Amino acid sequence: MFKAIAKGLSITFKHMLPGHSTTVQYPTVRLKMSDRYRGLHRLVPAQDREKCVACYLCPTVCPAKCITVESAENEKGEKYPKVYKIDMLRCIFCGYCVEACPVEALEMTDAYELANYRREDFEFTKERLLK
Amino acid sequence: MVNLTIDGKQVTVSKTATIYDAAKEVGINIPVLCYAKKLLPYGACRFCLVQVEQMKGRLIPACTTPVSEGMVVTTTSEEIQKVRKTVMEFLLVNHVLDCPVCDKGGECDLQDLAYEFGSISNRFEGVKFDLPTDEINPLIERNMNRCVLCGRCVRVCDEVVGYGSYSFINRGFETKIATAYDRGLNCEFCGQCVSLCPVGAILPRPFKFKARPWQIKEVDSVCGYCGNGCTVTLGVLDNKIETIRFNDEIGVNDGNLCIRGRFGYAYVNHQKRLTKPLVRKEGQLVEVEWDEALQVAAEGLSNAQNGQGVGILSGARLTNEEFFLLKNLAKTIGTDHLDHSGGECYKGVSEGLNETLGVKASTGTFPQLESCDVILAIRSDFWETHPVVGMVVNQAIRRNDAQLVVVADKRGKLTKLPRARTLLTKAGYELSILNAMSKVLLDEGLAQVDGLQNLDAFKAALSEYTPENVAQQTGVDADLLKDSARKLAGAKKSAILLAYGLPYTAQSKELAAAAANLALLAGIPGRAGSGLYLCGEKANSQGAIDLGVLPAGNGLGAQQMLTAAGEGKLDALYVIAEDPISSYPDRQMVEQAMDKVGFSVVQDLFLSATAEKADVVFPAASFAEKEGTFTNAERRIQRVRQGIKSPGEAKTDGAIISALANKLGNTLSFTGEAAIFAEIGKDVPAYAEFNYHEIGSQGVVWGGETLAPTRRNLVSVSAEQPASADYHLVTGSALYHSGTVSVHASGPLAVMPEAYVELGREDAAALGVNDGDLLKVAGNGVEIQLKAKVDNRLPKGLLFAPYHFGNAGLNKLYRGEAVVAVSVSK
Repeated sequence: MFKAIAKGLSITFKHMLPGHSTTVQYPTVRLKMSDRYRGLHRLVPAQDREKCVACYLCPTVCPAKCITVESAENEKGEKYPKVYKIDMLRCIFCGYCVEACPVEALEMTDAYELANYRREDFEFTKERLLK
Repeated sequence: MVNLTIDGKQVTVSKTATIYDAAKEVGINIPVLCYAKKLLPYGACRFCLVQVEQMKGRLIPACTTPVSEGMVVTTTSEEIQKVRKTVMEFLLVNHVLDCPVCDKGGECDLQDLAYEFGSISNRFEGVKFDLPTDEINPLIERNMNRCVLCGRCVRVCDEVVGYGSYSFINRGFETKIATAYDRGLNCEFCGQCVSLCPVGAILPRPFKFKARPWQIKEVDSVCGYCGNGCTVTLGVLDNKIETIRFNDEIGVNDGNLCIRGRFGYAYVNHQKRLTKPLVRKEGQLVEVEWDEALQVAAEGLSNAQNGQGVGILSGARLTNEEFFLLKNLAKTIGTDHLDHSGGECYKGVSEGLNETLGVKASTGTFPQLESCDVILAIRSDFWETHPVVGMVVNQAIRRNDAQLVVVADKRGKLTKLPRARTLLTKAGYELSILNAMSKVLLDEGLAQVDGLQNLDAFKAALSEYTPENVAQQTGVDADLLKDSARKLAGAKKSAILLAYGLPYTAQSKELAAAAANLALLAGIPGRAGSGLYLCGEKANSQGAIDLGVLPAGNGLGAQQMLTAAGEGKLDALYVIAEDPISSYPDRQMVEQAMDKVGFSVVQDLFLSATAEKADVVFPAASFAEKEGTFTNAERRIQRVRQGIKSPGEAKTDGAIISALANKLGNTLSFTGEAAIFAEIGKDVPAYAEFNYHEIGSQGVVWGGETLAPTRRNLVSVSAEQPASADYHLVTGSALYHSGTVSVHASGPLAVMPEAYVELGREDAAALGVNDGDLLKVAGNGVEIQLKAKVDNRLPKGLLFAPYHFGNAGLNKLYRGEAVVAVSVSK
């Protein structure tokens, strides 16, 4: 019995030794997020425009109804999103939009520091999402 | 009837049905791409392959195979699915994968089938096409890379529209659908191909990239243009009509529409719509609040009524309910001077009918027209004024071998239909030809004279109109005329068509009576399947007649009101949904009336030429912004539904009329359209049998499918001699426009942006005129300038000008005559 207790506590004490802590000193130290982490969205740029073709699948699938798209025709006759907005206050980061995208124009980054002071700042326009 | 078994289910269908029809009957869905309800079977896509026990060894296309007794059909089996999946793979070999940017995505038949069959890979390899998009016209875009060669566009354009824009060209893998010489689409832009394309190969350009199908709210309403009463399904997104959706499930039009119905909706969203009431202050129209405008109008009207009286002039695009309120308002004001739509046109027609048949409406319904054996169309303009009825005539000819006879002063779409016989007369002589046909029937003993009143007097009056005399006068071949009359009398089911409108006001009553006389002699009125179709120009012309928006007692008609106002004998005019200055015959007279009248109120969508002269202008709502009922030219009462909200503070005509009546001390109010409709029934017995809420998707027809005449009275009418000159001008309706509202709609405007005068090649050569040259047309002491349009339609000496464009000033020249004697110079 004592043997078992000692074994268990040894694990506990081992964690107290320097270099074995799971806590990181945020914000001076930051963790690397997993590849499949669902953070802030990003619109993927192509050569001279966004990859997005304004097919309206993401606003359709979005359960929180936080995506606004308005399509238009550019000078080459292509369909493009004149407006692309995500309201991060409503977004639930489910990632359905990324899954629905037929042209892989939308992805989710590992950015999770999304706090802000004003409501307007949570509205991510096309320009902000393209960064 | 034939009995067969489909997937173990017993079904009995007519012997003309196909396996596909039979399966549909018992609720079995066979996948199809090239099949369309209103087109002949074609069998292009091979999706509908099924197994038939009696025809073992191969698969049978369900959509082209007629049923036979005892057939045992299997619609799904492993083998069938495998074959269908292969068909899908063949189709996808060269189909571009641009669903995300294709406007059809979401309602695409090919997309749905690919999803159903789970097609994700392809065993075959082929080159995707990179054909240029056909964008040379402003309304219809064709992207042949997406085409699946089902041939629906080719067939609808030929079978239904009778235009024949498209054909298959090239062979094998290179096959594609093209227009003549592959020059791109330039047609009448009815958009039937757009609605029938199962994929995104043919799309409406005004709707390009505007929305996806699933975002759009659909509202079934009735088109606000002509009297055909087509169902239009408004595609609404964010309080704006973005498109007109294809809908062949409901309505009288079977999904058919013309350019006005499909592309003419844009005026509803127009920026120049009136949004606030205007009142004239110090000579300027200024925006005011509703209450003030109503107060000014009410005071002005009641002052005028205490003086020399008020005249009320309405358009025929109000709903029945609004007409009812308008009649109430006239009573409140105490005036008898109430009339609609120029007064002299559709009213004249209905009076002519009333004298002969005792009814004031068409006696048949449009679906019956399709099974007629002989159809007599008076004037070739019927296709232009009521294009979708024209399509029914086309179907009657192609499906049922009907004989079409057109009495016309010019060629047109109708005269080009297969086997159409044209009695080409000098302009203004239609009446003589109808009389001559009546005489032929009487002289040859073909007429059905039982129970006809005034027969002897009528015979005597016709003595002048021998076919030979008339032939000499009009230039029509006498034998052709006689033969046409015989055909009309000999047919079991026959129809006479006559369309009416503001540009055809001359002798309207007489012409209607002559047509009704001929119909009586040919036994048409009251016979099942036959009909005399006298069709009003506007959406609710028939409703206005039914409800009696007409002068009461000694009241003045429209023209008399305007004359009286011009002479200073009327103190106020209240003009609703009309622009008389732009569209009524004799502009000088109308302008004088508007200038001289002490007080005028205009209620319209736009600041029209008439509204600019008014003292008070009320902003009204369009057909898409109101609820109510329209009665179409075949007596069908249909529901109009609100799709969007009115812009700014604009209100429906009904709301404005009620508010004005309230200001004038009438406290009568209704809880809604249903209550008013019930009230209409008390005044108009024919409407009493219907309940507003029970008017279904097909509408209800008052008086039954075949309206029985209440009297059979022959009325002798004689033709006026039209003026004689080197050049004659006739006015009329163009296919692309209807009234003056469509000149605010971008779709029709894109095709016909301005007024023109049309002349034949012979005249053009004699005058040395080319297409697009400016021509001076002078007549009635007025000269106007119009652009020339040269084509093959018109005989020598005849000019045609459409009346829709007020700024062209055509009605300065045209004063209601059948033909205007003009001189033409470059």
